[in-house]
Amino acid sequence: MVRQVDVLVIGAGPGGYPAAIRAAQLGKRVLLVERDRLGGECLNYGCIPSKALIHTANLVHAIERATERGVETGPVKVDMARLQQWKSAVVQRLSNGVGQLCKGNGVDVLAGHASFTGPDRATVRTSSGAEEIAFTDAIIATGGRPSDLPAFRFDGKRVLSTKEALELPRIPLNLAVIGGGISGLEIGTFYAKLGTRVVVIEILDQILPGTDPEAARIVGRRLQKLGIEVHTKSQARGWRVDKDQTVIDVLTPEGLIARRADCVLVTVGRRPNTDELNVDRAGVEFAPRGYVKVDRQLRTSNPHVFAIGDVVGPPFLAHKATKEGLIAAEVIAGHPAELDYRALPAAIFTDPEIATVGLQEPEAVAQGRKVRIGKVPFAAIGRALTTGEYDGFVKLLADPSSNVLLGATIAGPDASDLISELSLGIEMGATIADIALTIHPHPTLPEAIMESAEAALGEAIHVLNR
Amino acid sequence: MAREFKLPDIGEGVHEGEVVKWFVKEGDPIRENDPVVEVMTDKVTVQIPSPVTGKVLQLRAKEGEVVKVGATLVVFGEAGEAAPTNPATAGRPTIVPSAPPKASAPPPPPSSGEALAAPAVRRLAKELSVNLGALRGTGPQGRITEDDVRKGAQTPAMTPKPATSLAPPAAVSVRPAQGGEERIPIHGLRKRIFEKMAKSNVTAAHFTYVEEVDMSQLVHLRDHLKEAAERKGLKLTFLPFFIKSILGALKEFPTLNASVDDERGEIVLKKYFHIGIATATDEGLIVTVVHDADKKDLWGLAKELERLSNAAREKRLALEDVLGSTFTITSLGKEGGILATPIINWPEVAILGVHKIEKRPVVRNDQVVIRDMMYLSCSFDHRVIDGHVGAAFVQNVRNSLEHPALLFVGLE
Repeated sequence: MVRQVDVLVIGAGPGGYPAAIRAAQLGKRVLLVERDRLGGECLNYGCIPSKALIHTANLVHAIERATERGVETGPVKVDMARLQQWKSAVVQRLSNGVGQLCKGNGVDVLAGHASFTGPDRATVRTSSGAEEIAFTDAIIATGGRPSDLPAFRFDGKRVLSTKEALELPRIPLNLAVIGGGISGLEIGTFYAKLGTRVVVIEILDQILPGTDPEAARIVGRRLQKLGIEVHTKSQARGWRVDKDQTVIDVLTPEGLIARRADCVLVTVGRRPNTDELNVDRAGVEFAPRGYVKVDRQLRTSNPHVFAIGDVVGPPFLAHKATKEGLIAAEVIAGHPAELDYRALPAAIFTDPEIATVGLQEPEAVAQGRKVRIGKVPFAAIGRALTTGEYDGFVKLLADPSSNVLLGATIAGPDASDLISELSLGIEMGATIADIALTIHPHPTLPEAIMESAEAALGEAIHVLNR
Repeated sequence: MAREFKLPDIGEGVHEGEVVKWFVKEGDPIRENDPVVEVMTDKVTVQIPSPVTGKVLQLRAKEGEVVKVGATLVVFGEAGEAAPTNPATAGRPTIVPSAPPKASAPPPPPSSGEALAAPAVRRLAKELSVNLGALRGTGPQGRITEDDVRKGAQTPAMTPKPATSLAPPAAVSVRPAQGGEERIPIHGLRKRIFEKMAKSNVTAAHFTYVEEVDMSQLVHLRDHLKEAAERKGLKLTFLPFFIKSILGALKEFPTLNASVDDERGEIVLKKYFHIGIATATDEGLIVTVVHDADKKDLWGLAKELERLSNAAREKRLALEDVLGSTFTITSLGKEGGILATPIINWPEVAILGVHKIEKRPVVRNDQVVIRDMMYLSCSFDHRVIDGHVGAAFVQNVRNSLEHPALLFVGLE
């Protein structure tokens, strides 16, 4: 018996489940297939659990530093098992919520592994057998998974991916992180705040490669304060076990060194999940590096098969997948939708946070593009001083002739929450004058945004205009 | 030092102009205030004088080309200077003469190369299949608004097609007709007329109402006043009388002194009376405007009409001489024929055509008598003007023309 659906969505991550819900809202009969848990890696093993843990670590860190403000506490002890339980409850709640949203919107959910058997056919292996699906349109939303290295294969015990690193039952004494990018630093910082000695090994010349170096420097200084040992331009060569400890050999510019660790976290990139899909049977072609090739409407080389999220390539951001999922669903429903966002924001939950949107200064420099820049440190903002978190800055980039906002970089407290004002500004075609002339309430952190717009115009009050 | 000369902002709402004629060639010496170029906007044709004394280095537009306000028209230099090789002369001083300080040229669009439009506007553009790149935004910094997109959706896209798609393939030999053909490019005023007439014809729901007027008394009155006019150095035509007659009728029927704002779906009733006069020139038809006609007496009207007619002939019309009419009269004088179906000067709602006055036999008190007779052809936008209103308007005009004493009483 073949199951007939309008839209088959493969993968219930932050791309797939919104795509399924939107397609159902637009009147389609939708089947959403997920091999693991609703919500995908983001909700179950990535963004959400990591933020739950990072927030807790920040709390611990804040309590420990509150003595300078006269807050007396005894030594802070973290019960990792309880913390993991609480984190799992948060994740469970959200994942259940996804299930309810699917149900409420009339999306059928099927647990199993999907693979294509033809241009409009797929089969789903479930716990009770296999189900044949005939679809009018399909959306591939299978995401990606962490890459490992030849010398550091994930084994779930000593060589860990982010997923396992977020599920450790005990706080490790020593942790080595290979890859000084976003997730490596986020998790490394989390453990360092809970007392782990952390060493970070980055092969490029800067932590957070690709990020505005000024912002990366702010984070680098904080890593140093937290006692995290950072080696850039360094390569982890291999590991061995010595007295029940993992020892890794690292080639630094100064020579070969060895570091002991309970376990090694490898965060060196992601690869697309296409292995089990048999996309070639659906006539779907690949782009270089194993990503699925799509056009501006997320359509693959099969006009009735779409692909969204990590599987179509970087940047690997949940909100990018969500946007793509909605567009694919709308295209399937006959709407004239396409990828046309001007601003793709990104949030990095290091200490302090970094958030970016639009044109970044290194990019402008590389393009030889003239920009007007306004930059204000949080140290000039009253609200930041009252919280004790004032490392960092807001930097705005605008077109020098029209003053139209082109991009923003925020390093500092709550950067991830602050960036959306600037995303909206870019999407709306705002000028820095629009931002400078908008009243921002006092005393709040977004005053830094207003102030940096004023600085770009040479009208700042709380910093000296250059 | 080469100086770029940009098309100045020559008036409200004027975004671009067409280069009609260059008075100079590249390499020519030029003196300040010498005419450089004639530019036609959708409102008026202006001669732009040179802001400098020196040499014409480069002309940046061909005759017939449409140039945006703020775009470089011509590059001036000093005698002996060569033209700049790189047209991108950003950062060099530029002169924008005679631009009113409030209405300066808009800044160039952001160099992002993408149209400035908010997400909801971009979605609307997709839904309406409007190419944002082809739109000119009316918002700050050229931001494209929802209104701009809706307007863009109404005007059919001007996609330039290769000429070959219209002409027969070269291999097919078509024998030219005896005597040959002449192809005249449509530009300048003729292009404006093309656009405006077509716009009016497809937009307004035209209906034309014709009535016969006994002009005997008015002909008599005009003859009577002719001498007085000559003493004032004025030529007295029938036009001032027609204007007076129409003013009286417009005050009686205010919906005739109106325009349609099709975009906002509103009828705009005008509380002022600017009477347009369709005027033939060598280049084509234009409408000159007698502003606040209701505030002028017969002599004042005659004087203003004469000034406009001279200015039109000598191409000295100012922008305000051709802007803002609220009701238009079209008159062909002696060539006026019997009747016509005038096309409304859109977005106005009515136009009055007057025809030749000739002696015709008519019946008065069961007697055939000879009278000075004339037809009036009045076209209305039937969307705004109901048939009986249009008819009553024309009857009112007829009544005051037949009893010209009425033209001079009771207007207040």
